[in-house]
Parts: sequence; C-alpha cells; structure tokens
Amino acid sequence: MKTARRIPLLKKMLTQLGIENERVRLEWVSASEGDRFATIVNEMTEQVRQLGPFSHNGGGENG
Amino acid sequence: MAKPKLALYWAAACGGCDVAVLDTNEKILDIANLADIVFWPIALDFKYHHVRAMPDKNIDLCLFNGAIRSTEQEEIASLLRDKSRVMVSFGACACFGGIPALANLTSREEIFQTVYLEAPSNSNDAKTVPLPKTTVPEGELELPGLFDTVLTLEQVVPVEYFVPGCPPPVDLILKLVDLYATGQLPPVGAVVASDKTLCDECKRIKEEKKITRFYRPHEIIPDPQKCLLEQGIICCGPATRGGCGLRCIEANMPCRGCFGPPPGVIDQGAKLVSALASIYQANSQEDIARMVEEVADPAGTFYRFGLADSLMKRKRLHKS
Repeated sequence: MKTARRIPLLKKMLTQLGIENERVRLEWVSASEGDRFATIVNEMTEQVRQLGPFSHNGGGENG
Repeated sequence: MAKPKLALYWAAACGGCDVAVLDTNEKILDIANLADIVFWPIALDFKYHHVRAMPDKNIDLCLFNGAIRSTEQEEIASLLRDKSRVMVSFGACACFGGIPALANLTSREEIFQTVYLEAPSNSNDAKTVPLPKTTVPEGELELPGLFDTVLTLEQVVPVEYFVPGCPPPVDLILKLVDLYATGQLPPVGAVVASDKTLCDECKRIKEEKKITRFYRPHEIIPDPQKCLLEQGIICCGPATRGGCGLRCIEANMPCRGCFGPPPGVIDQGAKLVSALASIYQANSQEDIARMVEEVADPAGTFYRFGLADSLMKRKRLHKS
C-alpha cells in the first residue's frame, strides 16, 4: 500500500526533474503469473530501449 | 606565535551566512582576538589581488559560504583552496546548493529570458541581456559567465568540513571556532552538526503518524505543541540532519531541510517522498491522486536546499 502511494508522488517529482514517466512503472504480479511477469518485463525493456540510454549529461554548460 | 589567519568568502548566497558570523555578537571579538581576518568581502576591504599575492596554504581557516554558479565564484573557490589549509563548506548553499540551486530546475537561457525579457516589471525594449564580453569604444568589458547548473563547493574543490544551515546557527559557528582553536578538529569530511535527524531532536508531542490531508503553511494555524507532520503540514524533519536548535519548529514553522540529509541518507528528496507518502492515509486511487495534488511542488519542497547535492543534481535539459 505504501508503494502505491509513493510511486505516483515520485513520478510527479521525476517529471519536474525532466525524467520521462515511461521509465518508471508499477505493476502488481502474483507469483503464479509467470507469463504476465515475463510480458511486463519484456514491454518495459522494449520501452526503455526506445527511450534510449539515460543520459545524465543533459546538464547544460558551465561557463 | 602568530595568530592563525582566517578568511571568509561568499559565492552564490544571500549574505545571511556572513550576517550569522556577525550574529556571534560580542564573541566576534573573541574570534578577532583568536585569528587575523585576512579576507572578508562583506566586512573588510581586502581585494582578490591581496589573496593572489599570498603564498599557498597561507590562510589557516577559510569559511566559504554560497554555491558555485559563475566563473568568478569557481575561480575564487580554487584560489582560496590553494591558499587555505582548512576549507569549510559553510552554510546550506555551499554544502548542498541551497536556494540558488533551485535554478537547476531550469536553465541559464530560461533564466535570462524571464529575468531580462519577460518579467512584467522590465522595461527592456532593446532586449539587452548581459554578455560575458561586450565591446565599447574604450575597449572590451568582461563579466563572469553564469552556469546552467548551480554546484556545491565540494563539486568544485576538495573541502575539509561542512557546517550546514540557512544560515549556520551561532552555536555551531562558535563550536567550529572552538574545535579549531583547541586543535580538536574532527576527521576530514565531518559535518559539524548533529548525527541525528531533526525529528529525533524535536520536542513536540508525537503520536501516530497518520495524515488525511496535506496543508500548505498558509492554510492552517498549527497547534504549537503537536508534531507538525501529524497536523498535515509538510515538515522535512524525518530526512533532515539535526543540530539546528529547532529554530523553525519553535517558531511554529515546519522544517524546510536546510541541514541536508542525515547520515546514511544519500538523497534527501527521495527519502522525503518515501516518508511522507507512506504515512498519508490514501487507500484508493482517488485518495492517492488527491495526495499527489496536495503536494503542489514536490521537487521544490523536498529539494528546497538540496537539489545540487541530490542524485539528479538538476533537471535534465535535453531528451536523451
């Protein structure tokens, strides 16, 4: 339950920090749902691959 | 024996840290008795060239306040580092970026756009913005360059000690001076403050932490005895280092986080999201959405003083 509260607030903050919402995903998967687990992981992997590497050098220039 | 030499400097700061040193009142005389102040822009008329003329490590103790966001501040930080034996990151801005580091939620370009071109109080028909170099008939004029990203002092030069706070409280300033004077300085890297959280030191009555609504400070008159967080006021106490003397709490105001993260916490803002969301009594999607709505500005609230020192350090400017 705490996680269900934390993630939406975290996502709001990450948006302010310029991090795409698609990089964070919360799903509830039971231990008996192997297929669903695999599907979600594959989807997530593909989504992050499309977004590309997380560059932290979007920091602009100094000087 | 010659007196130790003391230097104080301000970079991106409001001047409050310097005033805090003056707030030591009559103790300032003890400090002046104890040390020769060789550089202090707010109070004494020494110039940069006086510092440049000193041999390396000539200054015994340098209290450096303010974050680094310009080429001039970066240059003076390096200069004072070369000339100082002990460099102290003094105040929230030098330690964590402080209020100036909220500029890391935007960029230099956006700041210039707002400040010089769009602000309603401006009259700037010629659309003049400051440039690092300007040619006039008499020659070329130079201004320091402004950074996109506000940095902490330690991100620019090595630092021996940290004294947090906005501004550092007088008792911690005197403690630092005393530790120095008696040769009892702690191991390098130490933070001269408490190792507990503000909540650990807070004397308010604490019961069960269950919140049904977040209030912004202007929406409620808080009970002066009870835990502010339990009253629904966002208080950064759970993820903020203590040692501040509870100045805000005793004024019936919530902690804003100016002492930075406590030992063991890497990212103050992330820790606060975790702490606050978990005690909010939201069990349905609607309740959760309302909670998210009630925290109007999570990044500005949870990283009010700590954005430059956080894991992200700044808003990402470009899509990867």
